Amino acid sequence: MGFFNMQRRRIQRVTTVGFAAVAMASFVAACGSSGGGGSSSSGSSSSSSSAALSGTLNGSGSTLQLTYQQAAIQAFKSVQSGMTVNYGGGGSGKGRTDLASGTVNYAGSDSPIPSDETANFKGKTVLYFPDVIAPVTVSYNLSGVKNLKLTAPVIANIFQAKITKWNDPAITSLNPGVKLPSTAITIAHRSDSSGTTANFSEFLVEGAPGVWKLSSGSTINWPANSRGGNGNGGVAQIIKSTPGAIGYVDYADAKASGLVFASIKNKDGQYVLPSVSSAAAAASQTTVKADLTFSAIWATGGSSYPITAQSWVLVYQKQPNGNDVKMLQAWIGYLIGDGQKLLPSIGFAPLPASIDSKAKAQLSKISS
Amino acid sequence: MSAVTKADPAGPAGSARPLSERRPLGDISFQALALAAGLLVLVILVLIAISTSQQASSWFSTEGVKIFSSTWNPSANQFGALPFIYGTAVTAIIALVIAVPVSVAIALLLTEVVPYRWSRPIVYVIDLLAVIPSVVWGLWGILVFAPWIQHIYASVSSGVNGIPVLDSLFGGPTSGASFFTAGIILAFMITPIVTSLSREVIATVPAIDKEGAYALGATRWEMIRGAVWPHSQAGVVGAVLLGLGRAMGETIAVALVIGSSATITSHLLAPGYNMPAVIANEFGEASGLFRAALIGMGVLLFAFTIIINVIARAVVERSGRRKRGA
Amino acid sequence: MAVTTGQQTADLREPPSWRRSKNRIATVLMITAFVLVIIPLGFVLYTVIAKGISIISWQFLTASIPPNVLPASIGGMGPAVVGTLEITALATVLAVPLGVLGAVYLNEYGGNKLLAKIIGFMSDVMTGVPSIVMGLFIFSIWVLHFGYSGLAGALALGCLMLPIVIRSTYEMLRLVPDPLREASYALGASKARVTVTVVLPTALGGIVSGALLAIARAAGETAPLLFTILTVTTVNRNVFSGANTSLPSQIFANASSPYVGAQARGWGAALTLIAIAFILMVIARLVTARFSRHLR
Repeated sequence: MGFFNMQRRRIQRVTTVGFAAVAMASFVAACGSSGGGGSSSSGSSSSSSSAALSGTLNGSGSTLQLTYQQAAIQAFKSVQSGMTVNYGGGGSGKGRTDLASGTVNYAGSDSPIPSDETANFKGKTVLYFPDVIAPVTVSYNLSGVKNLKLTAPVIANIFQAKITKWNDPAITSLNPGVKLPSTAITIAHRSDSSGTTANFSEFLVEGAPGVWKLSSGSTINWPANSRGGNGNGGVAQIIKSTPGAIGYVDYADAKASGLVFASIKNKDGQYVLPSVSSAAAAASQTTVKADLTFSAIWATGGSSYPITAQSWVLVYQKQPNGNDVKMLQAWIGYLIGDGQKLLPSIGFAPLPASIDSKAKAQLSKISS
Repeated sequence: MSAVTKADPAGPAGSARPLSERRPLGDISFQALALAAGLLVLVILVLIAISTSQQASSWFSTEGVKIFSSTWNPSANQFGALPFIYGTAVTAIIALVIAVPVSVAIALLLTEVVPYRWSRPIVYVIDLLAVIPSVVWGLWGILVFAPWIQHIYASVSSGVNGIPVLDSLFGGPTSGASFFTAGIILAFMITPIVTSLSREVIATVPAIDKEGAYALGATRWEMIRGAVWPHSQAGVVGAVLLGLGRAMGETIAVALVIGSSATITSHLLAPGYNMPAVIANEFGEASGLFRAALIGMGVLLFAFTIIINVIARAVVERSGRRKRGA
Repeated sequence: MAVTTGQQTADLREPPSWRRSKNRIATVLMITAFVLVIIPLGFVLYTVIAKGISIISWQFLTASIPPNVLPASIGGMGPAVVGTLEITALATVLAVPLGVLGAVYLNEYGGNKLLAKIIGFMSDVMTGVPSIVMGLFIFSIWVLHFGYSGLAGALALGCLMLPIVIRSTYEMLRLVPDPLREASYALGASKARVTVTVVLPTALGGIVSGALLAIARAAGETAPLLFTILTVTTVNRNVFSGANTSLPSQIFANASSPYVGAQARGWGAALTLIAIAFILMVIARLVTARFSRHLR
């Protein structure tokens, strides 16, 4: 009898401890502080846009503007300390998918919603807020070669694996005096659905018509034996670690990774290096549509960088509640307002004034 | 009788409970609970099959038999899965070719060669190998291993240039992140399971067979060949199949080091792709038919691994694992 | 190999040299195989420790996750640590009791019934289902209806742990000697009472150590979480709702980053993860050695 009682007591002890542990864990979990996802309705209801707001905004999408989103989120904390903004990256395609499924409040996308995705949004109006102008570099890894010059047709043939070695005459003819090795070229591209890919391929379609055969889009049927990376960062990593690699990476990531990039012949025939100023020059040449979509790719102008991309913040015009409207207006307002000052130091060009004012005017369209 | 009743904790002292009493409710409900928990396994397996097939149904119905085509071009809405099935097979085979001899050798080492005292540390090392998470293998693989082995690949590729079979396997463009690198990392990951299962199988060889071989003057190696191997080869086959199943399904390490290039090529040192890797890398932003295609590949993966595991377990059971216990 | 007579016995004890060398070669090959395994293991552990140790600190384990581009000295992996702990804990709470009950069914009630044999067999088969399929499964039946959350991740990890816990608990229950059960029945205890008060406590050490190993496995899994928690970089203490993150998810994200800071944080997280798994493994061994001595 003693044995069974001892066992029973031991069981009771164990189960009590177990229940206590489970109860404690659930208690801690249940009264969590910052809940994720969606919005909270515990905001202060003031009509002034500078009033303190609280809640959480979630965004995902373009990795082209990831650096800006992260920098702006940090800086925004001193503007609205009660708000938490999360931006998950993942590629423009992911951002649009997440927005369509309602998982995020806003999406970052480097291209407007393609026609085969419009059905996902179930007829709801999506507003485009351009927030960055970003040059896309053609970065490469060749020790000792610093000032490579490339043209759109040559780039097209490199990325179609028609030019396979660095000392191919097509490349050497553009770069007299530069010693190019016979290393094989390794193509680095995006493995995920990407707005950067869309913009890069759009550049090749416009700049090398007839030469570039793989058309444009968020995903491309790249040639065999090319390497895919996740996000702009993934492509940068491939280029950085693979001698002989070449790939397309946005300027901010390329600079921060220490990559070397080529100067590209633009529409006016000038070789231009990607930079904040050459991107701004390209952006100033564009015409903007009524819904604020535009393309700065293959812009005219002697100092324009030909692969200048842009990125938008996408939100639904109709929001579920007033606090979401205020938070989004504050956040997006920051991105296209004071946040623009952060851009040059991290490798982006600010929006041209005309586009920026149109974007600011569109803010009031967000309503509940 | 009185001794029994005094010691009976369930009833007051002195009462004799008939042995044929109806079972108390608590007893029945406990059994029901245990049965439910056991059935949960079957329920989950069935639900996996149903729910994932349902999500993938649009892919199956739209593409029909073309799901096995070799054209994978999401922007053109073409979702042929053959490049990934090919990649899964190739990486798994490379992993097995490397891991099986090594694992069986270690299993033999542990059971036949090494005295028991020394076998414990060796087993700890194998367990340590098993405890490294897949993502850490991938991190090390892409940041340390791939850049290092890239140079070796390049030399190998230029070395076999022109030699008929070797060139098509190991020639051509090379990349640190490739089929072969993924295969090597998979080999490291499946070694523990193949080793431990082979050990269990080899340990069932009756001592009498082994002693008999020694008595006839056999060296240890001859004993292994003559007495151990014929007895355990079916079980080792089962262990190998389990390793195959594991190699096919391993996701994260492969996703990081395989190179993310959806191509069917014989060049093993070139970048490639396989089913779990593409699902992991591209699921985040896929929608509609693209997502259905990825889930569909998950269904195929599920079906393949279930079949392989069923065959493997059946083979291992039949070859008789050592029965432990009272 | 004692020889009874005093005759020359060289030909019985010494096989010819070619057979001896074959034997020696075989032994060398087997030892080489083991060395071949130690080398990558040592390499990985060394790299993780060397690269991770410089960044590990209390600040690293608790600070928030900074943008990738920031250097290693800033920020840490706090949200990932919290996420791993709470998601794994929830998965344990879900899977371990059910796994133990399932093993109880197989060993105590199932006997030789066909259903028990099928369940046992399919449970073993289930250990071979790829973890990514578990993630897709929970995505299909849970996330699509209830959204991303730590709970969804815990469900996926729980599905992964369940067959492992069933198998290890089953092996432990089998070791409990039948006379112990029979003595309890003889005293008039019901089967449930016997199981709960006699069998389970006796096997408790082994059950706990098996569960710890399953937990170590689950803590390191990434694929099931990919489609269920929507990796974010902010801490989420509410495991039941809202996107979350975890150490393996962050390592996966940082592994493809070109930034030295992000990679360093990745190594730190990897070291943390290996340390957690290792500690659980050591505790499991200690528990086995301490509590199951009388069963072996």
